[in-house]
Amino acid sequence: MNAFHIHYRNTQGTLMRILTAVSRRGIDIPYLYAAATDGAFRADLLLEVNAKQIGQLRRDWHAIVDVIDVRVGAPTPQMIENLASSFAAPHPPASTAASGRSASAAMA
Amino acid sequence: MLKGAEMFLQCLRAEGVHLVFGYPGGAIMPLYDALEGSGIRHILTRHEQGAVFAAEGHARATGDVGVAIATSGPGATNLVTGIADAKMDSVPLVCITGQVRSPLIGTDAFQETDVFGLTLSLTKWSRLVRSIDEIPRVIAEGFYWAREGRPGPVVIDIPTDFLKAKVEFSGPVKFSPKPRPSDEKADAAFPDDVIALLSNAQKPVALIGAGAKLSGAVPELRRLLDDLNIPAFATVHGLGALSPEAPYYLGMVGMHGTRAANMALHENDLLLVFGARLDDRVTGDPTRFAPNSKIVHFEIDPAQLDRVRQCELPVIGDLAETIPEFHRKIKNANLPDWSDWRALACGEDRAELDPRGLAQPTIRFLDELFGRLPNHSVILADVGQHQMWAAQRYRSDSPRGFITSGGLGSMGFALPAAVGVQLAKPEATVLCVSGDGGFQMNIQELATVRRLNLPIKMVIVDNKYLGMVRQWQQLFYQRNYAETDLSDNPDFVEIAKAYRINAERIHEEVMQEFPVAEDTADTLERFLRSSEPELLVFDCAPEANVYPMVPAGAALSEMLFEEE
Repeated sequence: MNAFHIHYRNTQGTLMRILTAVSRRGIDIPYLYAAATDGAFRADLLLEVNAKQIGQLRRDWHAIVDVIDVRVGAPTPQMIENLASSFAAPHPPASTAASGRSASAAMA
Repeated sequence: MLKGAEMFLQCLRAEGVHLVFGYPGGAIMPLYDALEGSGIRHILTRHEQGAVFAAEGHARATGDVGVAIATSGPGATNLVTGIADAKMDSVPLVCITGQVRSPLIGTDAFQETDVFGLTLSLTKWSRLVRSIDEIPRVIAEGFYWAREGRPGPVVIDIPTDFLKAKVEFSGPVKFSPKPRPSDEKADAAFPDDVIALLSNAQKPVALIGAGAKLSGAVPELRRLLDDLNIPAFATVHGLGALSPEAPYYLGMVGMHGTRAANMALHENDLLLVFGARLDDRVTGDPTRFAPNSKIVHFEIDPAQLDRVRQCELPVIGDLAETIPEFHRKIKNANLPDWSDWRALACGEDRAELDPRGLAQPTIRFLDELFGRLPNHSVILADVGQHQMWAAQRYRSDSPRGFITSGGLGSMGFALPAAVGVQLAKPEATVLCVSGDGGFQMNIQELATVRRLNLPIKMVIVDNKYLGMVRQWQQLFYQRNYAETDLSDNPDFVEIAKAYRINAERIHEEVMQEFPVAEDTADTLERFLRSSEPELLVFDCAPEANVYPMVPAGAALSEMLFEEE
């Protein structure tokens, strides 16, 4: 896992642009924290990515007009702790086979 | 006091806008109501996709920002393909969309769409205007980002009530952002670093992309390569950056590039990339791309670096600055003699096309047309086989003379884009080459051509198939021509006539004579010299293929020259 710290101006859509750079690659976001800090905003993300994806994400984020800076590092203890607790959270219901009851039927 | 719409148009004028393309509708009506007397000419297309492609055509032909206008909901969603197209091909574009009244946003009101959210990943910058007071700054900022650095698309979504409201207006504003300390730029010593790599190279080459043209660096690039005298080739968007007469120029590279260009790109040991993204159509299998090469990447957009492979030396910055800086240094450099490499790469045994390919009737037809074009003509190609044939046969050194949808590959692009080009260059001959599939995707723009009496020369290469898909089906799907048969095409000549546009048909058999018969030559001359819009339908064999071809997933050296 790699931690990413992105400083940005909190203009319309900037956080969403940061996140779509990840989601368009089909990468899960197991940890995300965004808040105001030092006169700007900071988003911390924890992602399972390879070296090539790290480079691509860094540059794609930096290409966003209102991103100020991008840092890559090791996960902080707080990130690890939050990640561990997320595994204890309930998972969404699993899909059922076509022969069984469908999710929508179950909901109905 | 001014209405928001009047203020909006004044701000557009302040950005140098005098021509916009669009289609009216409910939420954008106040802007249309204020158009008269604004100093801005509006071109009504017959579909919003026509408007955005026309705006793109105008921008690609001039370098200015193209502007497209649509209403909320379906009007805005119809712009999306054009926005994606502009993103891929680095086209400066501002799309203005009307939005439902601000109190209704988020209520699923009639014709409400979240166009801001919908286009987030396709735009370089976008805003949903939140108050009438924001209008001047949003327009200034939007145009700034559309033009700045690597150009791209911008969306400005404006609720209709802000266009109707009145406010005190103190005039348009200018926008200039603070530079980011984290912005990457080329190291000051980069020219020495490139020279060091060149000094150790035995097989250097240069790859030219659209960035070389967008930056305005073409004259300096030509001087640089004249001095370096190394084999050079271009992406489809780099065509026209170099003179086809340059002895070191090998033509187009990539999936349907020339044999010489692809072999040189495969064999080189030092690749100088000037403003190209190195996408998969250029590299072939990325794991086997230029296996012995070190890459020096001149690029304005750092996000394009290292996508295929880690480059040895990134040279980040505007090519209009980095190329001259580099050129100054090489004048005193003692570089190796590359004449043996040049003789191999540019030799006759690597002829650009197989002689059998040159005899192919559609290629002969395009050669006959292109050879008759006056200087400073603009050729537009739609998407498909005809696009690749046109790119292979393009022989002009006009940097903005070949326009096509390269990155997104949007069928239906060429006809509306030609509208924008012809309006930008009223004196130029504008030749629009389409296939029978793509032409029908925006065929309604014949009405725009007729209304404006634009003397566009439209060609349909009609093989009654979705030709490129059919080619892949033939070569890689055992001739299973699933849903590519267009043999029930309408009569395009009769359709053109219904739009009151002159139209004629010729059959590929007339291209089997060499030189072409006098009456064929007369037909082509009459077609190109007419002061009216003209359509020429070229009936051709259904199973002609584009060669060379690098199959998807193959290395550039593994070109097909015929069906195996």
